[in-house]
Amino acid sequence: MSDILRLPAEELYKAELEALIKNETDPVPAGWKMSPRSVLTYIMGGKSGKTVITPKYMGDRRIVEICIATLVTDRALLLIGEPGPAKSWLSEHLTAAINGDSSRVIQGTAGTTEEQIRYSWNYALLLAKGPSHEALVKSPVYTAMETGSIARIEEISRCASEVQDALISILSEKRISVPELSEEVPAKKGFSVIATANTRDKGVNEMSSALKRRFNIVVLPAPADMETEINIVNTRVAQLSDSFGLTAKLPDRTAVERVVTIFRELRNGQTLDGQVKLKQTSGVLSSAEAISLLINSMALAGSFGNGEISDADLASALQGAVVKDDTKDKAVWAEYLENVMKKRRDCAGLYAECRERNA
Amino acid sequence: MTEFFGVRHHSPACAFYAEEFLRRTQPEVLLIEGPSDLSGLIPQLCAPEVELPGAILAYTEEAPVHTVLYPFAEFSPEYAAMKWAVKNGVEVRFCDLPSGCVLAQIQRETPDKGESPDSPPNVYERMETVSGMDNGSFWEYCFEQCESYEDFLAAAENYGAELRSFSGNDQQNSLREAFMRRVISECEAAHPGGNIAVMTGAFHTAGLKNVPFTEQDRALTEKLPSVPSKATLMPYSYFRLSERSGYGAGCRAPGYNELMWECRRSGDIRDSAAQYLAKIAQYQREHGFACSTAEVIEAKRLADTLAGMRGGMLPNLADLRDAAVTCLGHGSFSEISLACADIEIGTKIGSMPEGAVCTSVQEDFMRQLKELKLQKYRKASAEELSLDLRENLRVKTEKAAFLDLERSFFLHRLKSLGVSFCIQKARPQDNATWAELWELRWSPQAEIEIVEASLKGDTVEQAAANDLSLRLAEADSVAETARLLDTAFECGLPACVKTAASSVQRQTAECSSAAEIGSAIGTLSGILRFGSIRRLELSSLPELMEKLFLRFCLCLPSGMVCDRPAAEQLITAVSAVNDACTAHDFLDGARFTALLSDIADNNFASPLLSGFCCAVLMERGLIAPDKLSELIGRRLSPGFAAEGAQWFEGFSKKNRRALISRLSVWEKLCDFTAGLSPEEFKPVLVCLRRTFAEYTPAEKSDIAENIGEVLGISKQAAAEFAAGELNAQEQQDISSLDDFDFGDI
Repeated sequence: MSDILRLPAEELYKAELEALIKNETDPVPAGWKMSPRSVLTYIMGGKSGKTVITPKYMGDRRIVEICIATLVTDRALLLIGEPGPAKSWLSEHLTAAINGDSSRVIQGTAGTTEEQIRYSWNYALLLAKGPSHEALVKSPVYTAMETGSIARIEEISRCASEVQDALISILSEKRISVPELSEEVPAKKGFSVIATANTRDKGVNEMSSALKRRFNIVVLPAPADMETEINIVNTRVAQLSDSFGLTAKLPDRTAVERVVTIFRELRNGQTLDGQVKLKQTSGVLSSAEAISLLINSMALAGSFGNGEISDADLASALQGAVVKDDTKDKAVWAEYLENVMKKRRDCAGLYAECRERNA
Repeated sequence: MTEFFGVRHHSPACAFYAEEFLRRTQPEVLLIEGPSDLSGLIPQLCAPEVELPGAILAYTEEAPVHTVLYPFAEFSPEYAAMKWAVKNGVEVRFCDLPSGCVLAQIQRETPDKGESPDSPPNVYERMETVSGMDNGSFWEYCFEQCESYEDFLAAAENYGAELRSFSGNDQQNSLREAFMRRVISECEAAHPGGNIAVMTGAFHTAGLKNVPFTEQDRALTEKLPSVPSKATLMPYSYFRLSERSGYGAGCRAPGYNELMWECRRSGDIRDSAAQYLAKIAQYQREHGFACSTAEVIEAKRLADTLAGMRGGMLPNLADLRDAAVTCLGHGSFSEISLACADIEIGTKIGSMPEGAVCTSVQEDFMRQLKELKLQKYRKASAEELSLDLRENLRVKTEKAAFLDLERSFFLHRLKSLGVSFCIQKARPQDNATWAELWELRWSPQAEIEIVEASLKGDTVEQAAANDLSLRLAEADSVAETARLLDTAFECGLPACVKTAASSVQRQTAECSSAAEIGSAIGTLSGILRFGSIRRLELSSLPELMEKLFLRFCLCLPSGMVCDRPAAEQLITAVSAVNDACTAHDFLDGARFTALLSDIADNNFASPLLSGFCCAVLMERGLIAPDKLSELIGRRLSPGFAAEGAQWFEGFSKKNRRALISRLSVWEKLCDFTAGLSPEEFKPVLVCLRRTFAEYTPAEKSDIAENIGEVLGISKQAAAEFAAGELNAQEQQDISSLDDFDFGDI
């Protein structure tokens, strides 16, 4: 067991990647480690020779196909969506499969500067020797262009607009100019960029349409059906509780099902059977949120309860997740409780607890 | 020689190669899958004045009306073949079961078992699991993109055989094929040695080619049960042709198919991808979205790559749509959904020359006139008809007992379809829900409107139902949907009532306007109170009303701080909900009362609304006298002149007699007005004049009496003063109010 908190994808799934490369039959695009079809298999799961490939992304196959096809055409890819549908996860695995290296990342923040996207200087060397190749500090994008691989930019919409715009000419001309060295570095075949952006968070900067035009935009949706989502939640909750060493029992299927049902119903604005239309909350109710809610109730139950998640634990966690800081959410939650949950016989206990907390 | 050509209905590639096939075969007779008794309509259908899409519609002569529909578009292989045959003077006939037999079968089956007699269910689904893509995509990759006649022929035959191996042949198909074999063998006998071309669905080709006509077939096709039927040509629309209207052998994207057809005819099927994307881009630009050529180019590249990854030579519709969403829609389908509908489905509506159309709706209309004993009203002069919807107890049959009710349904359906044959007039007794008054008048305009209705359905009832469903889909407010529910209810369309109820339910959650919800509650309450007269199932309404009611109670507090026009709407809503509350026990009256008390007590709520709520409470005796007097006192306090007057206006909107009989109210009002400064007095005066304008003279004189009593003037003097002439000074004062700046009161 490694003492690294989180290994990169290419390390974790090394065996699978090697198997796919070994069993390759289709043509491989320039700069890629495997064919587009194998990348698809790596992401969606399947078999390669005798090796079982685990699915990394549980969701619409067509979406992943569009992502891969975009990268084949040397277009940049922009994954957008609400928080939680596995944007960064998908981008990491795509680069891991295509380049065998997911480490060329720029993590976008409000403090990201243009130098971090293009290049900067080692000032000691710059002062000592003047502009030279040794003094140049290359950004991940720069390196990706040199090597013909894919650079990732996380949370691009958190960067200031000026900084985002540094990408425009890089993406259209596919070269980066270094006037200090009177040089222009052309990108090798295989260079591309995968950026991820949030649509609903506060504190994001709108992307200019000039930049947007240079990306193929793929919107990642929330999990399409109940089974998939329960599956995702179960898998992740088990993984996380393992790594956090939580003592409480894993939530049973009914608990997971209830939480996922509530989340799905509030997110989609209607009940699962489509009979009742509901108001939506201001906050985001993603699968990631459901996972952390369950982990949260496990921590509560383990530390202060009897080790088993009770209705009260769930109700507290739900109240916190659904009703953020908005009074409107409270009304939405009240309406949901009265119109939907109250009518579900098996939820009587949870209903009472929730109602009490929302009063 | 008999040659066979298997087609997929509405496939442009098939249509294109069908012509090629006929040119090569040069048949003496052409047989096409279609009702064999209706071959006579082929020349009409191929007339130059006809603009497709059009359809052959066969329908039973007697009620209940059943219909079968054979739609054609420019790109239908059958149509291309017919046209070729008519042009080249080749005999062309239909060779499938006669329409009467098909109708007889439909009549025997359960009515909801799909319209398409063609596709055995699940074959396509099973093919989808095997090929891993949906049937349309599979077909497009493998056949639609073929670039030579030979490739296509081989592929299509293979497809039919494969399709057949997936589905056992069911009884219906065996019968049809036996019949077709019979027609073919008769035809062969009549043209010994001549070329015969047979064009059927690819699925059937495998069952006809090299299969001899046997004695068993003869036995099977002898004396087929049949019902009397009629047929007509009718104009059709791409929208109805698309699957969205539920026609099995229709086509998903008629607009896109036409585009492929045009590309085929102009020489290169490869153009269709670029054209599709360019058309989407053009639509977007015309509708105010930015869409650059560069994006179209990128979309084309993406579509090509996607097709490559999915195993096709050229992009198919699914690839094109994905690429368009990604590049032109910036990731969201909703951004280009209208463009997609416009390009893929299209809005084309066909037209037929005059005289070719005698639609089933027209026949249905005539039949109903006769059944409902309304024929005498079909004349150019207007005549009134009054209906009593209650059961007529003096007649023997049930039909006669509810004759007027049936008439009402019929007329309401026509009205909702916009047929100007009947106009509903105000009833002499406005509240009598069992009585209706109509004015009927026949005009050529009405005739045209009925033919137009045939595009919506095959009978008056169906057309009205479809029309209502469309309007329901478009209705975007709860109040409007509730009104449509009422219409559906008046038209006697239980299915529509159900859909409307569920869309009211859906919209309730989204709606935050108390005024709209209140109006919806009022409409529903009306239906529920007097609904039984129309003998329709209403059990789902109470629950729906409870939801609306809860929503109303949650929404009203946030809407109560508002300006005058909004307050007036809310008053209408509160009044409707109040009526509903008194009429229906299942509504939570206590919640409503608590809400009203809150608003009546709230100093920030619109004074007009607040006053009205107070009046409602007073009327229903739900407010303690002490509280009432406290409220009146507080509202009519000095310093809040305009608010006070508005509050009083709201307060006096209800139960005038109760108000007049309460002396204490008038005492407070007198104190209030007496304490006003001259500047404050003017706006108050305007409000009070407006308030009392609606009162009758008798009520006004009662009020004058009350005030007289408060001020210590005798009844008589007060009455005389009120009735007396105005002097010049007073006249001038009142006219000066005309220039008053109303502001927000």
